[in-house]
Order: sequence, then structure tokens, then C-alpha cells
Amino acid sequence: MNRFTGKTSGLAEWLEYLKADPEIMNNVTHWRTIPPREAMAVPLPDGLHPAWKEALHSRGISELYTHQAAAYRAAREGNHVVAVTPTASGKTLCYNLPVMQSLLENEEGRALYLFPTKALAQDQVAELQALADLMDAGIKTHTYDGDTPPTVRTAIRNAGHIVVTNPDMLHSAILPHHTKWVKLFENIKFIVIDEVHAYRGVFGSHVANVIRRLKRICRFYGSKPQFICASATIDNPREHAERLIGEKVALVDNNGAPMGEKHFVFYNPPVVNKQLGIRRSSVLETRKLAAMLLKQGVQTIVFARSRVRVELLLTYLQELNRDKVNDKTIRGYRGGYLPKLRREIERGLRSGEIRGVVSTNALELGIDIGQLQACVLNGYPGTIASTWQQSGRAGRRQESSVTFMVASSNPLDQYMIQNPDFFFNRPPERALIHPDNLLVLIDHVKCAAYELPFEQGEQFGSEPLEDMMEFLVEEKVLHRAGGRWYWMEQSFPAHNISLRTAAQENFVIIDLTNGSRVLGEVDRFGAPTLIHEEAIYLHEGVQYQVEKLDYPEKKAYVREVSVDYYTDANLAVELKVLHVDKERESGEIVRQYGELTVNAKPTIFKKIKLRTHENIGSGPIHLPEEELHTSGYWFSFSEEAAARKSKNEMQFALLGIANVLVHIAPLYLMCDPFDIRVVPQVKAVHTQKPTIYFYDRYPGGIGLSERLFEVHDELLQQAKSHIRSCSCLSGCPACVGPIEEVGLLGKQQALELLKEAEGVR
Amino acid sequence: MSGLRDRMNRLRGEASAKDTPPVQNLSAVEEPAMEIAESERLSPDWEEIGVKLHVHEIGSFLIRKTVYQADHYHGLHALGELDAASAGLASFHPGAPNGAASERILFLDLETTGLGVGAGNVPFMIGIGYVKNGQYVIEQTIIRHPAEERAMLAYLTEKLTDFEYLATYNGKTFDWPLVQSRLIMNGLGRNIWEPKHLDFLHPARSIWRNTLASCRLSHVEEERLGIRREDDVPGSLAPQLYFQFLADGNPAPLEGVFRHNETDMLSLACLAIRFGHLLNGTISSYIPLPEEPEELVRTGIWLEKMGRYELTGNLYHLAENSEAAKPSTLLMLAARDKKAGNWNRAVLLWQKAVLRSNQHFGASALEASIELAMYYEHKLKDYGAALAYASTAFEHIQQSSRLTRLDSKKRSELDALRNRMARLNRKREKQLL
Repeated sequence: MNRFTGKTSGLAEWLEYLKADPEIMNNVTHWRTIPPREAMAVPLPDGLHPAWKEALHSRGISELYTHQAAAYRAAREGNHVVAVTPTASGKTLCYNLPVMQSLLENEEGRALYLFPTKALAQDQVAELQALADLMDAGIKTHTYDGDTPPTVRTAIRNAGHIVVTNPDMLHSAILPHHTKWVKLFENIKFIVIDEVHAYRGVFGSHVANVIRRLKRICRFYGSKPQFICASATIDNPREHAERLIGEKVALVDNNGAPMGEKHFVFYNPPVVNKQLGIRRSSVLETRKLAAMLLKQGVQTIVFARSRVRVELLLTYLQELNRDKVNDKTIRGYRGGYLPKLRREIERGLRSGEIRGVVSTNALELGIDIGQLQACVLNGYPGTIASTWQQSGRAGRRQESSVTFMVASSNPLDQYMIQNPDFFFNRPPERALIHPDNLLVLIDHVKCAAYELPFEQGEQFGSEPLEDMMEFLVEEKVLHRAGGRWYWMEQSFPAHNISLRTAAQENFVIIDLTNGSRVLGEVDRFGAPTLIHEEAIYLHEGVQYQVEKLDYPEKKAYVREVSVDYYTDANLAVELKVLHVDKERESGEIVRQYGELTVNAKPTIFKKIKLRTHENIGSGPIHLPEEELHTSGYWFSFSEEAAARKSKNEMQFALLGIANVLVHIAPLYLMCDPFDIRVVPQVKAVHTQKPTIYFYDRYPGGIGLSERLFEVHDELLQQAKSHIRSCSCLSGCPACVGPIEEVGLLGKQQALELLKEAEGVR
Repeated sequence: MSGLRDRMNRLRGEASAKDTPPVQNLSAVEEPAMEIAESERLSPDWEEIGVKLHVHEIGSFLIRKTVYQADHYHGLHALGELDAASAGLASFHPGAPNGAASERILFLDLETTGLGVGAGNVPFMIGIGYVKNGQYVIEQTIIRHPAEERAMLAYLTEKLTDFEYLATYNGKTFDWPLVQSRLIMNGLGRNIWEPKHLDFLHPARSIWRNTLASCRLSHVEEERLGIRREDDVPGSLAPQLYFQFLADGNPAPLEGVFRHNETDMLSLACLAIRFGHLLNGTISSYIPLPEEPEELVRTGIWLEKMGRYELTGNLYHLAENSEAAKPSTLLMLAARDKKAGNWNRAVLLWQKAVLRSNQHFGASALEASIELAMYYEHKLKDYGAALAYASTAFEHIQQSSRLTRLDSKKRSELDALRNRMARLNRKREKQLL
């Protein structure tokens, strides 16, 4: 290390230096070095078209990694395939290899590629077309999305060999106009779906139905395409892909790509108040680590879980360069930024001009930003799968890389940071979809009927077709004649159905500081808690206060301010059980799964001081109540258990358990933390007993609480062992919650209640 | 089944459950009746509106056939004029071997269940028109339910190949692609006929864009073809009326749709006559030339676009000398003259445009001044005169901009003028030396 500048010669040297620094190492709970992995390669397969072979050679590809070869073989044998690969392992070749080969063998053939976002699709086309051009075979690759100029659309429909698009475009533009795509649908040989793990939850359930429609149209034109899917590492890739496409698939997961040495460092901020179990802010610790990396000149990506955190960290890190005028080497990246700004940042990262980026999980998907060297996770990203994806952003084939995971005080983070084996040994989460959610299904049955009349005996999803048809006849959108059901309505159904529930109902944020300009957007779920009136909204590190929220018009008007706090909002919830589908007992606990309605209303917001994060005030939120009909799972303790505790004690015990569960539950699900909610009630209306409810935050449910119902016993075990092993005395934010919330005996009460429920007194 | 409805209502929230009318399954009641109707004679309700059953080998559907004699006047034109007018329509397709004989034109107008050309938009009524034995024949086919569409389309495909031209209003982007899409959906082949389009929306827009409030067919025919519709059912209501018929089986309200479509078919023929006369150069022997100078100029420009340069002299002459010509119209003609190298009239028109703008030196006057400055600079090398025009324009922009903030367009205009004046000054000095 240079004694004067503090700079080291490279990451490896710096890491050695770091290991000798007690100030850092005291907080490191685990340092795992994943040794570099050699490539496992096999020769190019026999029978590869000479032009294709040559093109690969000119790209320096003379052999394949084992997973690429396996995917090729499986596809050539006519299987539907799902290939599971980590970041930067040559995933695209898994599908490009068989697709290009097939197009070279039959120039009439066509392929459709689906990516979850426009940006990913545009990335891909550039790469694909470059490959195709090497072969001089006239293979044409095009993106077809909202940005495609009308003048070239016709040419793409007729002549594009590979059409690259996204599910939304397929849903609203291609399938409803399938007669313009005759050439594609008659000759389609392959459908490639990349990033299948991204199609989960409500979005995934919609996409599964879009694929049902796609297959229906292909059948009409007499084609039967093969699906090739690629997924990040999840627990159930085969099952997930099979549910998504409704076909049996062959699983390819023998990753043979090489990897440089990888350091995975678990970092727990120091305890600052032992009594209350309060740790130093993870944001501040993240800032410290990221700043050290950036000062070493290491290109670094910082992931934070919320927009607010992204903006906070960005503000902090940009302070590093405050002496430089107009410095743009450290940037933020998140959903609310406009596309043009995002493309600029992606380019800057690839070229190396941008040295640091703070992002939400928006950069988790395969958007090409090159490979960085270091990654700092502010908080556990919520799922094991995401953690590996995000960490994969740092890591080159030759050099070593490092990922720091900085735990926040939330129980899930604390659980992970103290149980590294759980993280390293456990398979990642399961991707769940529920394509037969009635609301989602009916939406797509309408679209499908618009595209092609339904015939008697057809099958679409799990509901009996006749029932759905009759319902839609009554709704006056279908007409039955001659054994078929025809769309007979003026509207264009796909326009009223958005695959991404949030996307269609975004709130626009308008900055009134100088005239008025659109600053960004927030989805509907975020709106009540992020942009209620008086909220502090952060954008690119600048603070804005919301002056007016026009709820019906979905607009928030903000003005730039400079204050030393941020805001955080609370939500009040009321529950009503409608129907019980399943019931089971274990110990004294009865658990049920069924349908319920939820009424939710934001109540107050708190002002929290920057840096110290103390509560310095609050105010009311006036927004309408929202009603949700969904599926849920709940468990109740016996009346005896209730009788043993005072009402107050029970309240604290339940709240404590709920606080732990809400954070532990995602261990079993692959979902956004927003997708599932936990509500404790001392005397629930439905059971008349102390009860804890879970519910899916989507009308009709998407299978999350159903899965939790199944793993209930394990879930409670985990919760108990987590509370027990927490180092705090009587409750802290990392387990049952702070004592201000659950009382002085909250931790003890929660543990007692859980133990009693097992029959251990 | 009611289980599914209950579940849907719950998922959608309580409110919608209350709004939902009691369950009644209309189509289940009506459907048997329809199937019987197919094999038996048509109910008298249909006959009352002139509709007959047509049994095709792959199914049946209904037709309403109306024949008009050549001397029938629809507004200003008699249908018989089509014979003479159609020759001119060949200009729509230069290079086509033979002229557009009126018997080779098929007129087409669809009534559909929705908007756009998506796969779920069904043409429930197809209106076609053609000339046969000197008469104008309108056939309107309608389906009693969507399953009859295939037979109706099959009937249409058999007709198509007798014709060479397809006359429509917006048919190039709507009616014809929709027919093609329906043929594919019904497995009746594709590209079975490649018509030469006579889409009258395009010339209507070229000519009447500014002189008419809208280029909708109903507006154009009223303002320019002298057609008044009595109790017309607007086309936008047609889907509703058809759905009502599907629900209750009573065809009476469809009569309005038939009449609306029939009028459209007649108006299409009259548009063919109008544009045909214009292209033949014989318009003034039928009706007087338009009065609006802008329409005169636009008609001329359209005729030139169609290759009929020789027909425009009189139109332009009338416009040029019309006191009512707006500066913008003069500029339009001047731009045409500039392109054609007719500098004398162009200069005259620009000067007129400036003069007519004395009260208010607007955008047209500005443009005209700049054109004049360019003309004097580049054509006549008279830098003094050019400078005079340029500085007039400059002063006017500056004056008008004192009241309002300059937008970027104004600013760049000013900069360009400043440069022009500097250059003219330099050139003039050089000339003087």
C-alpha cells in the first residue's frame, strides 16, 4: 500500500490489508472465500452448421461450457428446456446455439425471444444481430416494442427471423393482431424466455396466461414451437418453468463457466445500545465500506432495498466528490428514473466512466453493465436468489471480487448474518405463480376470446371452460353461436389489462420548484406510504416535500426542500374471513387457509432524523381506504393459552411473534416483501382467539400464504430459534421488535406463547 | 356456474356485486330460435326491411340488395356520371394498363363490432357496390350471429375477383386489412386478391384539410356533395344496435344501420364521380368550381400530385386573383411556383402576402419577406432590395417579441435573419467596390 495515498495495488492486496484491520473485522461475522472455479468445457457439438461454427470461432469460442452443451443437446432432442445459470456464465449461448443452428438449417424458421424489460431486449438484439451478421446468412433480428417505429413494423412482421420483445408487447400488440404475424406464427420453431425467475407472483401469473394465449395462436397456425427458458438460480426452476409454459421441461443446471475468486463478507454493524439491542445504522456502515472501495478506485455497485435508501446512500457517497465540480462518477439507479437517464448510466458503467452506482434491485436483472469488482449490499436483499444475483454483478472471470452484505437491524437480516450456513447451504427460494387466480385467468380468457373464438372442449386454465364462457356471456362480452364463443364487444380487452399491476397505475411526481416538470413515478402500492402529503421524497439525492397528492388523478406535486429528516408511514388494517378451504392442527395451534377481505388505510407518518435515525415528529395521512379480497392463512392459539395471559401481555406476545414472522416468511417465498402482510389480533372476529394472519397483497391471492400454510411448523420453529438466539435482553428491532413496541417482557412473552403452543409448559 | 360469478364479484369488491343485474342468460334463450331460423324461412321482420336469406354452400347469411338507376341523383351528382368519371380515376394508379372502367370498381364499406383491425373486431355488415348494366347495385350482407361470418366472407371472395379497383373511404388502412384479417381467421386463404386502391380519404384530406371542419365522410358529403341525411343512425352507434339485436333477435332497429351503410355506399360513388371529374378536367361542366381560394390551390396541388399538371392553370389563376385569398394560401401557391420555377408569379404572390398582412405582420408575412429576400439575393443579386426585405422581417420579429418571451424557434429565426443581413451587407459593399 502507498503510505501517503492509502491506495493499494489492487483489490486482492486491499482485502489482505482489510483483514488486518480490527475496526472492520470486529464487525465481520463471517468471511467466506469461494475458490476460483475452473472452466468445464467440451468441444463444439458435431453437426454444427459450418457458418455458425466459423462465427463462433471468430468470437473466440472453440469449445462450450458443459451447461451450454447440455442445453444444446436437450433442445436438439426436441425437449422444452430450462437452463439455470448464474450471472456471467454465457447464458445466452444456451438458447442462441440451438436457435441459430435451426435458422441456418431452415431459413423459413422463426423464433420469438421474450425478455422481462425493453432494456434487456434491446441489449440482446445488438448482440444477436452482430452474431448473425458474422454468418452472412441474412438472418434478421429485430426488437418489437413500443419504441419500434411504425414504418419498420411491417417489415419486421414479415421478414424478422428472430423477433425480440417483452410479455407486455406480446399481450397487447402481437397476439391481438396475430393475423398480421402469419409468417411468424406459421413458422415459429422456438420461443426463448430469458430470466424466467423474474416472472413470479402476480406478474408471473399474468405472463403464464399470455403464454397460454401464445400457444393457442400457434396451434391455430399449425405450429408447435419449442420453449427454451433461462433462469437465475432458484429452488424450483423446473417446476416454475413448467407452470409458466404449461409443458414438461428438461432441466440443465451443470454450470461449467469459470469464476474468479470470490469473497463474501457478512458485516454486522456494531451494537450501540446493548440494552435496547440497537445497532449502528446499516446505511452508515454501507456508506463507510462503499467509500473505502471507491477511494481504492474499485468500481463498485451498492444495492439498497428501497428507493429511499438508494437516494440516501447516493447523497452520502456523492459527498466524497463534493470538491469536484459537476462530478458524475457516482450515480443512482432505480425504477423511477426515466429510461433515457437509465441508458446513460448503463453506458457509463460499461465504459468505466462511472465508478460507483447505487441501485435498487432494478439492476439485478441481466441488463448489460459489464462486470464490476465489488458489491455492497445494504441489508439482506430479501431472498437468497436475489442475493446471489446481486452479488454476481461483481465478479470477473479472472480477477477476484468481493461482496459485502451489511445487515440492517431487521430480524431477517440478523438471522442471515448470524446463520451464514443457512445462507450458504440452503437452496434459494421457490418462484411461485398462480396462473389460475380467477381474476387473472378471466382477464386473459377475455383477451384469448378476442384473439380467437373459443370452441367447445377447449381448455384454458383450471376452471371449466363452459363456466367461464357462460359468465362472460352474462357479462355481455361473449356471444355463443354454433358451439363457439365469440368476442362481441366494442373494446379491445388487452388495453385494460396490465401485466404489471403497478405499472398501469403509476403516480406521476411533478416538481413545482421551477415551473413544473415530471420528476419520476411511484407505483400504486408505494403511493400511500411514499408520497402522502408532507412526505419527504428523495430523487437523485435531492429532497422534495410533497405539497399535494391528487389521488384520483394520480399526481403528486412536490417542491425542493432541505431538511434533516425523512418520513416513514404506518398502515392500519382490518380483516374479515369469508371462507375456510383448509384446516390443520399442530399442538395447541389451529391453522386455516382460505379467503378473506382486508381493509387497509394509511394512518400516520413519522419524521425520522437523518444520520441518527431518531423519531422527531409525526402527522396524519388522509387517504381513502382500500379493500382487498385475497387468500390468506392464519393460526390461532387456544382459549387456554389466552386465559393464561392478560390481554396486554397477549398483545405484546402476538406482536412480537408477528414482527419476527413477517421477516422470516420470505425465507420460504420468492416475493417482494410488499407482497405478503402479517397482522396479529388478540381476539380475532373469525376465531374469537388470539390469531396471527398472513395474506397475499393481490386480489384472489397468488399462492404465497398457501405455501406458508404448508410450511407452518417449520416457520414457527425458525421464529422461535431466532428469538431465542438473539443476543438482546428483552426484545430488539432484530427479533420481536423494540421494547417501546412490545413492552419490557415482549421477548419473553413471545417465546412463552410459542413454547406453550407446542404443549411444553 | 353462479359459483364463479359469486367469486368474481367478491374479488372485485362488494360494490360491483350490487351493480350486477340479476342473472339472465339471454343468448341461451335466443339461440335455439336462431338455429331454427337458419333452416326455415326468414321472419317477416326481416322482409320488412328488405332483407333476404342467402344460402351459400358453406352456410347461410342475409342480403339486402338495392338497385339505383343511372339517373338517380344523390346530392349534386347523378349515379350515371360514374361511367364518364371513372376514366379519370386511373390516375390513382399511373402505369395501370387500362383505364378504370366503372364496371371494374368495387365499392366497399364495413360496419364492425369494434374499432381498429385487431383479431376480435368483426364486420357484421359488409356493404359492396358496383355498376352493372348501367345501374348502381348495392349489396349489404349481414350475419345473424358470428358463426355465419365464414359464409358471408366466402360470398365476398367470390365477388372480388370480378373487379380490379377497390373504392373506399379509409379502406387502405381499415376496411381492406380487416377483410384480409377475417379471411385468415376463417381459413379462407390470404392475398387472394390484390386490389388497386381508390381510397378517397386521401384526396379528401389533401383538398379539404383546412376548408372543412372535419374530413369525416358524413361531413364531406354534406358540405361538398350536397347530401343531407335524414334521421341518420351515426356509424358509431352501429355496434350497439347490433349487440342489441344479438341479445333480443329483433332486426327492426338494424334498418337504421342498413340505411346508414347504404348512404355511405352512395356517397362513395359520388366521391368517385367528383374526383373522376376533377381528374378528367371536366368538373366545371357538372358543378361550379369551389369558391374558397385555399380549396382551389389545394385541388391544383392534388391534381399535380396525380400527374394532371395541365388542369391546374385556371384553378391557380382564380385563386391568385381572389380578393379573399388568405396570405397563407398565397404562400402555398408561391411555394408551388417556386418549386416549378415559376418565379414571376411566386414573387407577385409573396409581395401580395406581405401587403395583405399590413394590419398584422404575422407568420405568413414573415415567411414571404424572407422568401423575397432570398429571391433578390440569389436570383437577382439585388442586395439592396434583399436587405430591405430582410430588415423589415427582422424589425417585425423584434417588435412582436417585445411583448412575449422568445421561444427557441423565434430566437433561431432572429439569429438566421441577423446572419442573412450581415452577409447581404458584406455582399453589397463588395458589389459597390
